[in-house]
Amino acid sequence: MITLHDYELSGNCYKIRLMLGFLGVGYTTRHVDFYPGLEHRSEAFRAINPLAQLPVLDHDGFVIRDAQAILTYLASTFDKGGSWGFGTSPRRDGEIAQWLAFAGELTGSIGAARLHDAFLFELDADAARRRGRELLRILDAHLWFQEREAHGWLASGENASIADIACFPYVMLSEDADLSREECPSVRRWLDRFKRIDGFRVMSGVFPTR
Amino acid sequence: MALTDDQKRGWHPVASSTDLAPRHVFHGRLWGQELACWRADDGHVNVWVNRCLHRGVRLTIGRNLGHELLCQYHGWRYANRSAGCTYIPAHPADAPARTVCSHVYPSLERHGLVWVALDGDAGNAVIADIPAGGTLLRQMSVAVAHDTVRRALEAGGAAGCSPFHFRDEARALTLFLQPVDAGVTVIRGILDAGADADIARLRALDHEFAMLRDRLEREHPDVPQPIAAEFRPVSEELAKVPERRRRGSTRRMRVERKWCVAPDVMAFRLVPIDGPLAAFQPGAHVDVHLPNGLVRQYSITNGPDDTTGLVIGVKRETDGRGGSAALHDTVQEGDVLALSEPRNNFPLRRDQLHTRLIAGGIGLTPLLSMARTLRLSGVSFELHVFARSREGLPFADELKALGGAVHVHTGLDAEASSAAFARILADQGEKEELYVCGPPAMLDTVRGTAAGAGWQDDQIHFEYFANERKLDRSGSFTVALARSAVTVEVPSGRSIVEVLREHDIDIPTSCEKGACGTCRVDVIEGEIDHQDVWLSDAEKAANRCMMACVSRGRGRIVLDL
Repeated sequence: MITLHDYELSGNCYKIRLMLGFLGVGYTTRHVDFYPGLEHRSEAFRAINPLAQLPVLDHDGFVIRDAQAILTYLASTFDKGGSWGFGTSPRRDGEIAQWLAFAGELTGSIGAARLHDAFLFELDADAARRRGRELLRILDAHLWFQEREAHGWLASGENASIADIACFPYVMLSEDADLSREECPSVRRWLDRFKRIDGFRVMSGVFPTR
Repeated sequence: MALTDDQKRGWHPVASSTDLAPRHVFHGRLWGQELACWRADDGHVNVWVNRCLHRGVRLTIGRNLGHELLCQYHGWRYANRSAGCTYIPAHPADAPARTVCSHVYPSLERHGLVWVALDGDAGNAVIADIPAGGTLLRQMSVAVAHDTVRRALEAGGAAGCSPFHFRDEARALTLFLQPVDAGVTVIRGILDAGADADIARLRALDHEFAMLRDRLEREHPDVPQPIAAEFRPVSEELAKVPERRRRGSTRRMRVERKWCVAPDVMAFRLVPIDGPLAAFQPGAHVDVHLPNGLVRQYSITNGPDDTTGLVIGVKRETDGRGGSAALHDTVQEGDVLALSEPRNNFPLRRDQLHTRLIAGGIGLTPLLSMARTLRLSGVSFELHVFARSREGLPFADELKALGGAVHVHTGLDAEASSAAFARILADQGEKEELYVCGPPAMLDTVRGTAAGAGWQDDQIHFEYFANERKLDRSGSFTVALARSAVTVEVPSGRSIVEVLREHDIDIPTSCEKGACGTCRVDVIEGEIDHQDVWLSDAEKAANRCMMACVSRGRGRIVLDL
C-alpha cells in the first residue's frame, strides 16, 4: 500500500500525485496541515522526516522523502522497462539527473517566492524571484533547442521523463510568485504539451488544456 | 502612459509562426497591448485583445478548441476569424448579442513571423522585403526600452533600415525589434538563406544575444513605465440580453458553389466579398435578398469549425411565391447576393447531458449546424431525420460524417411517424433538451407527443419555417407605447407593425407571418390574442411578449416600445 504525506497546495507533493496518476497506481493520502498549522515542523512529523519537509511516501513500510527521490523510486518500481525514469541510455540518465537537480533549484527560487507571497513565509522574496527568472530563461533556451534537436522534453527521447514531472509544478505556478512566463514561449508550449499527457491531473491554480 | 498614434502605426512581428503550435494560445504583447494569438485547426491565425469581454480574464489561459477559443473563467466561447461570442454558459438558452465580439487585430505571416498592425489599418506601411528561406533565431526578450536596444545594435555594427529593422552583414543577419512595451523589447533574428545555420551556430548566436541582454539589463536597470492596455468589456446588460434586432444592414456575398443535395434541394455556399464572415451560432439564419426582390430566411448549416463561408439548403417550393424558384433557377455560381447578418432565434444550449434533435425534411438545416456543434463540443446527442425516401434525404454526405448519432427514418406515413416520435421521445431523462424543426404539422405532433411524454415546455425548442395557421385579423384595439408615449388604434384587417410604421415607429420584421420571432416586443399590460407559432405555449400564457406582425390585442394593451 502507498501512503503519501500530502499537502494539496504544495508543488512538491503535486509532483508525486502527477507521477502516480501517469502510472495509474492507486494510493491514499494523509493530509499534513502545512499552512497555517505548520504540522510539518511538529515533533510527530519530524519522526517521519527529520528535514521537516513534504512530501514523504510510505510504500509498504518503506519510507522515502524528497520529491525527486520519490519520483525516481516510483519510476524504478512501477515503470520497469518504461521511459519515465532511468535505464534508457547513459546519456539520457545523465540528462534526467541534471534536470532533477534543476527542479530542486526551482523549489528554492520560484517555490520560495511563492511561499513568501501566498503563505506569508519570511524570506528574501526578491532574490528568490531574480533567481527564478534566470532559471526560466535558461529553461526556455533549453526547450527551444529541444524542440529542434529532440522531442521537446527536458531530456532526450520521445517521451517525457520524471525530470519533466519534477520541473512542471513550480514553473506552472510561477505566477503565484509574481513571475510571468510571457518572455518564455518555449516554456509555455512545453507546459501545454505536458498537460496533454494521458493521466494528467490538475491542482488548485493549474487549469487543464483539454 | 497611453498608447500613441505613432506607436499604433505599421506592422510589427509579435511571434514566430512556430510559436503558434496546434491547440496552443500564444501570449504576445506589442506596445503594451496584450495579445491572444492562436491558430485554428484550419490554419487561420487569430490575434485578439487578450481579455475575455466578460470579466477581463486573459484569453491566453483559455483553451484553443481548434475552432473556438474558450475562456477559462466562465466558459464564454469565441469563434475563429470573427471573434464573435458564440456561447455564454450562464445564459444557455439565449443567443449572445452580435456585438459581443472580441477586438481583432489585422495579422499576417511572413518570413516565418506573425505580424500585427495595432491601428487596424497598416496603410502604406509595408513589411520589409527580405530574401526567403532564412533561418529564424530564438527570440530574445530584453527588459529595456526599444531605443536602448537600437543603439546597442548600431554600436555593434548593424545598420538600421528603420527603427525596427536592422541588417548585420558581418553575421549574415536581419534583425527585427518588437517593441513589447515601453521597457521591454524582443530581438527577432533571421539568418540569411545559405548562411551557416547548423545547431552549433544557432547556439553561438543565441549565447551572444543572451549576453547582450544581460549587459543591457545590467546597464539600464531603470525602464520607462508600462503603456496602458486598451480594453473595453461589454456591459453587464449586453452580456445577459440578446440585442434588439435591427433591420436593414446587409453584406454582399458571392455564391462560391451551388450543388444538389437532394432531388428538390440545392445547397449554396456563400463567401463574403470583403472581410471575414460575421459570427454565427448554431440555429441561426440569414435573410437572403433575391434578384426578384423577395427576401427569404434560410438556416445556416455550418458547424463552428467552418467560418469561411455560409452553407444554406434551399428546397424548391412548387406552390411558393417564387423565392426558392429564384434561387434554384436564376442564381448561379459567381453571382453576388445581399445577406443580412446572421440572427439567432433558435439558440442551442450546450449545458445538458443529452440533446435530441428531430428534423423533418428541409427542417434539417438548423439541426445540422446544432449536431455539428454538439459533436465538436463533446455533448451527447442524437439526430433523427424524417424524409419521404432515402433519395430525398438532404445533406446525406454531411449526415454520414456525423456517424452513429444520426438515425434516418424514411417513407413513414402519418401514423407510423407518430409512433416513431413516441419511441424517440420516451424515457426522457434529467438534463435533456429537445430541438425540432420541420413542416408545421409535424412540429405540432412532436410538441404534443413530447408534452404527453412528460417533457417540460422549457425543454422543447422548435422553429417553424412557416405559420400555416389561419390568421384572424378582425377586431380593433388600442396600443399604448410606454416609452414613446404614443397611443394608436389598430383597426380590423391591419397589424400592429403596419399601423406603427405609419407613425414612424419601425419594429424590425422578417417573415411577417409569426414564424421567425424577429418582431418580438415586450408586453407591459393587456390581453394578447397570440396567433404566431414562435412563442411556446408557456410564453403565450405568461403574456410578457408578443409577435407584433400577426398577434393582436383585446381592448387596450401597453407595449414596451
